[in-house]
Amino acid sequence: MKQEKRFSDEFLNAFVDNQIAAEEKSQAFIEISQDEALNRQVCELRKLHDLVQLAYREPPAPPARITSGSISRHARLRFGVAASVLLTLGIVLGSLIHLPSPTTIPTVTIASEGSAQRAATSPKRVALPMAPSNTMVATAPTRESMAVSPVTSLLSAPTVTPVPVVAQKEISDSAQTKVLIHLARDDVEQLGQALDDIEGLLKHYRETRQNARLEVVVNGGGLELVRTDTSAFAGRIQRLQREYDNLTFAACQNTIDRLVREQGIIVRLLPGVITIDSGMAEIMRRQNQGWTYLQV
Amino acid sequence: MRKLLTLTVLAMLTVLSTGCATMFGQDKQKVVYHINYNDEKQLNAALGNVKNHINAIGKDNIDVKVVMHGNGVDLLKTANTDLDMQQKVIGLKKDGVAFEVCNNTLVNKKINYKNDLFDVSEKDIVPSGVAEVATLQQKGYVYIKP
Repeated sequence: MKQEKRFSDEFLNAFVDNQIAAEEKSQAFIEISQDEALNRQVCELRKLHDLVQLAYREPPAPPARITSGSISRHARLRFGVAASVLLTLGIVLGSLIHLPSPTTIPTVTIASEGSAQRAATSPKRVALPMAPSNTMVATAPTRESMAVSPVTSLLSAPTVTPVPVVAQKEISDSAQTKVLIHLARDDVEQLGQALDDIEGLLKHYRETRQNARLEVVVNGGGLELVRTDTSAFAGRIQRLQREYDNLTFAACQNTIDRLVREQGIIVRLLPGVITIDSGMAEIMRRQNQGWTYLQV
Repeated sequence: MRKLLTLTVLAMLTVLSTGCATMFGQDKQKVVYHINYNDEKQLNAALGNVKNHINAIGKDNIDVKVVMHGNGVDLLKTANTDLDMQQKVIGLKKDGVAFEVCNNTLVNKKINYKNDLFDVSEKDIVPSGVAEVATLQQKGYVYIKP
């Protein structure tokens, strides 16, 4: 069953380009998500597809062509003018959209240990760490009116900045950063380094006060990282989960099912690790939702 | 009346073409190559990919950044002694490729970039290589892991 090629390249391309009927597509989706090689192929295609799309941003819509001969020349000419105006407008608008928007929503939240404040999507102005006590909440409003106040001494190093600088920083900070990290290999050394990278990234976002979310998707060999019986880093993963509430580990259900089916392994995951239907599908979904993809 | 219309169309076409020209002018392909391994074969292949990519669309139409962290920094370590690798890096830099090095890695591995790495100056250092890869993608760079 594994050997025969169930889908032609043309079909897979059409699948990625969204050019097949919904029914056929959902059927194909199920079959593809059950086959890792196919899964990978689709992922590669999708990457390529995204790449091409990025390289050739959407061109302005061409004017609709009127083929009917019954329309008078005059009317055709007038239509031409209207179309040119529309096209020009489209291009001007397009290039305006192209320019970096100066009005990105400033979101600055500070994740402090143990506290469960998640990524607020509403714009926030004041960059203050979560108050460990009521006294700090009480003094907080005064900080806005004074450049140097007693509160600043309580803040960590990067926070001790005069008000104007803080304001500028908020603007340069983009909206929420969402990063998906994909681990698919079982090399212990590599997984250790991946955890170094993940921890470094979390630290970086905390230090630079960026409101970020990280999702680590494990599938294939990468699943060993989060299995109770194989993980070489169980303690470290738990510590990371405790320290950073913006970090999620997500395990691929397809891989889990395959282990049961092919090797009779009953998979038990480390506490706090969630499962997702398919690692590959998750990667595609997240990228469509604007997440950044990274393979470490 | 018809003349007037023709003139209008011509004027519009001029505006349109200049608009197109400026748009395509700024539409360089932006790409980030992510390197975090030190297998020499793989590194050479990766540099080959970058070179081929540039050749395919022309160095004036592309903005490439190679971000190295972890073991990937060994690329520039090797380039210090391996002349073949060095030539490749020099060639790519001539084509406008930026090689960015992760500061976390420099600190963790106690690397002195001035002595240990080939042709790295302060402007090539980024605080976190992984974060840089993410940031570049947010700025519209396409991610490639060769």
